[in-house]
Amino acid sequence: MDIQRGNIIVMDRRRGTLRAGQGLLQGLKVVWDHWVGSFRKNDNFSQIHGTFTIEYPDERMKLPQAYRNMPVLLYDDETGQELCTACYQCARACPPEVIHITQAKDPNTGKMVPASLEFIIEYDACMSCGLCAEACPFDAIKMDHFYELSTDNRMGLMQRKADLNRPVSYYTSIAPDLWDEVKEGAMKKLQGSIKRRPDVIGIAGHLSEKIAARRRQLAAEAAASPPAPVAAAPAAPAGKLSPEEKAAKLAAMRAAKAGGAEPAAEAPAPAAELSPADAKAAKLAAIKAANAAKKAAESPAAEVPAAPLDEKAAKLAAIRAANAAKAAAEAPAAPLDEKAAKLAAIRAANAAKKKSE
Amino acid sequence: MHDVINHLINTVFGLGWPGWAISLIAYLLIATILFMIVPFQMLFLTYFERRAIARMQDRVGPNRVGPEGIFQPVADGVKMFTKEDIVPDAADKWVHLIGPGIVVAPTMFMFAVLPWGPGMVPFDMNIGLLFFFAISSVSAVGLMASGWASNNKFALLGAMRAVAQMVSYEIPAVLSLLAIVLVTGSLSIVDLITFQSGLFISSSDVPGIPDFGLGWFVFTPVGFLAFIAFFIAALAEGERTPFDIPEADSEIVAGYMTEYSGMKFGLFYLAQYVLNFLLCAITAIIFFGGWQGPGVGWLYAQAITPANPAGNGLFNVLAGVLGVFYFLAKTYFFFFVMVWVRGAYARLRIDQLMDFGWKLLIPLTLVNVVSAAIWVGLTKWGAADGLAFVEGWAPLMRWAVAFVITLVMNLVAYFFLVRVYSQSQDERARLDDEVLERLTNVA
Ligand code: SF4
Ligand code: SF4
Repeated sequence: MDIQRGNIIVMDRRRGTLRAGQGLLQGLKVVWDHWVGSFRKNDNFSQIHGTFTIEYPDERMKLPQAYRNMPVLLYDDETGQELCTACYQCARACPPEVIHITQAKDPNTGKMVPASLEFIIEYDACMSCGLCAEACPFDAIKMDHFYELSTDNRMGLMQRKADLNRPVSYYTSIAPDLWDEVKEGAMKKLQGSIKRRPDVIGIAGHLSEKIAARRRQLAAEAAASPPAPVAAAPAAPAGKLSPEEKAAKLAAMRAAKAGGAEPAAEAPAPAAELSPADAKAAKLAAIKAANAAKKAAESPAAEVPAAPLDEKAAKLAAIRAANAAKAAAEAPAAPLDEKAAKLAAIRAANAAKKKSE
Repeated sequence: MHDVINHLINTVFGLGWPGWAISLIAYLLIATILFMIVPFQMLFLTYFERRAIARMQDRVGPNRVGPEGIFQPVADGVKMFTKEDIVPDAADKWVHLIGPGIVVAPTMFMFAVLPWGPGMVPFDMNIGLLFFFAISSVSAVGLMASGWASNNKFALLGAMRAVAQMVSYEIPAVLSLLAIVLVTGSLSIVDLITFQSGLFISSSDVPGIPDFGLGWFVFTPVGFLAFIAFFIAALAEGERTPFDIPEADSEIVAGYMTEYSGMKFGLFYLAQYVLNFLLCAITAIIFFGGWQGPGVGWLYAQAITPANPAGNGLFNVLAGVLGVFYFLAKTYFFFFVMVWVRGAYARLRIDQLMDFGWKLLIPLTLVNVVSAAIWVGLTKWGAADGLAFVEGWAPLMRWAVAFVITLVMNLVAYFFLVRVYSQSQDERARLDDEVLERLTNVA
């Protein structure tokens, strides 16, 4: 018997005409038909006879695109940039509150960046409701089709960002139509957030070659931009600056300010009137610090986890250089100033080197 | 077996051992073989049942342990053996312990009189059938003991139900066998089988019928009705669906097995499947000729038998193999029917079970006993017994008259009793409805 979907089947049970014992025989007949029919496979599920079993480990059911099991995070295949902007919408939507996000900060400015530093989903308590994927305005979190998640480790179901990251191409392979619907908007929004992400923040952590490529790109951009003139500090070049450069520039500016503060207390402190030695020392320190930082950033040993350390070291060096420059400016003897500034610069460079190693 | 051992020791080796030693060795050997065969039968039956019922439910069934899952019961057995044996604190420890033993032991005894093939019966008792059914009821004691000793209400309920069911269904079972015993005039199971040679007509009823081993009782009206009644009663005795009331898992957990775990639970399982095997086997023997089938009788006539000592030993083997094949094929067919019935029917309520047994099966089998008496009178009696008018008829004529008369009797009895029974059931349902209506109106 064919059953069409959506149709109401009225079974004719011929109640009135049953003789004694006939119902029993009919029952046996039904079971017999199923037994005979079960030796072939029921493929199209519209038949009521035939084996329905899909022998799971050997063969698997084809899952519908909208099937949802556990949420995963997407990143762009080409740039490695994660789509997530740490907007917390998913964490807010999640009924059992199993999503935990830390937003990334710009290490230099301390400002929030539209990217997540860490993203944790407790799979063991997730109920696969899919509300997180519904809520995400950036289409960064999507429901995966993978269901063989069992583990003998209790913490094995606490998924960190490294476990959750999937390339967009993976998602298109499991749900092409669903991705096509949102693709354009998602990629556009991603471009917007990449612009606001300094350095390699927001690149999926395991993609070391993507990170290296991004670093090279940033360095090339920095090199292409004109060197920062000390005197024209406020009129900094409009080109994109890496945080190290920014920091160095900042240090240089501070050093310049400090150098000019004492001798030109009553004057409006034009740069040309500064004591030449002080200015020179400060400038040198700043450049050295900047170089050291750049070197640290470019060093091939800069692995992913080391990256924040490098940045930190560079920042530290810049601050030290700035301090030294300040001290030099305050001191009366010019040669001493120069020496101190130089020392500070060397120290900064060493520190940066050490950290990068 | 006795003959073979005797031949081997006293004739081939010329040791001249006394008869009792030969018998002892022979019986020990037979017992050992049986005790090895029986658990394997049980293992295979569980596998067979699970595969068959799975197919009936459009599934595949266990198919991953070994080729097509044939080692699944072995894996289950290992699981059973390694499970912890839990005895409830409040249980009567000793009775709880020996309960499963009392349930299993009778099923093993019953193999003593079960013929497997021509000349292949462990012990040909002249009251074999009586022994078989007398010993089978002993397991009710074990069920009651284990249910009572568990000190659990579900176990006790299950045991009560089991005993009530066994006691009431033994009556139709034995009454239907009584009809057959009337016809054959013997309680020996081996005699029962030899009686069923012929071709649709037993050659004992009508001499001169060619022997194809097909003179089964089921081809006579008396035998057919007895077969139906007996098989239903066997389902109830073996606690098979639709009569698995004693262990109805949706009502009383697992009945008398509730408080058992590990291998003690396994013993109940063993007993149940072995009993089912035996009931199927006895159905096949009594109504379907056991090892009788085309060719066996002829082969066995050439073999070495007490009646024919000059036969050929090869024919012993051939007749044995063919006979055992027929016997097991019939037995497994009936087991398949049991599984089939399990797949088709829902469990009865305990009062429906009792009604069905006492109000339908017992009257029906009683009528059948009368039919059997008429059958015997028409086919076997003569002037000496006061039936002079059949003397002049040819045997075939006598058989045909007996067939028609018993057929009419049984049919009339069946339709009349079913009508009465269904009316009483309808009346009862109506009363139930009325009571329900009254109750709901009050509420
Ligand atoms: S699927 Fe539901 S429960 Fe799971 S993380 Fe997303 S919102 Fe939370
Ligand atoms: S996954 Fe989406 S909703 Fe969640 S924080 Fe990232 S961007 Fe926001």
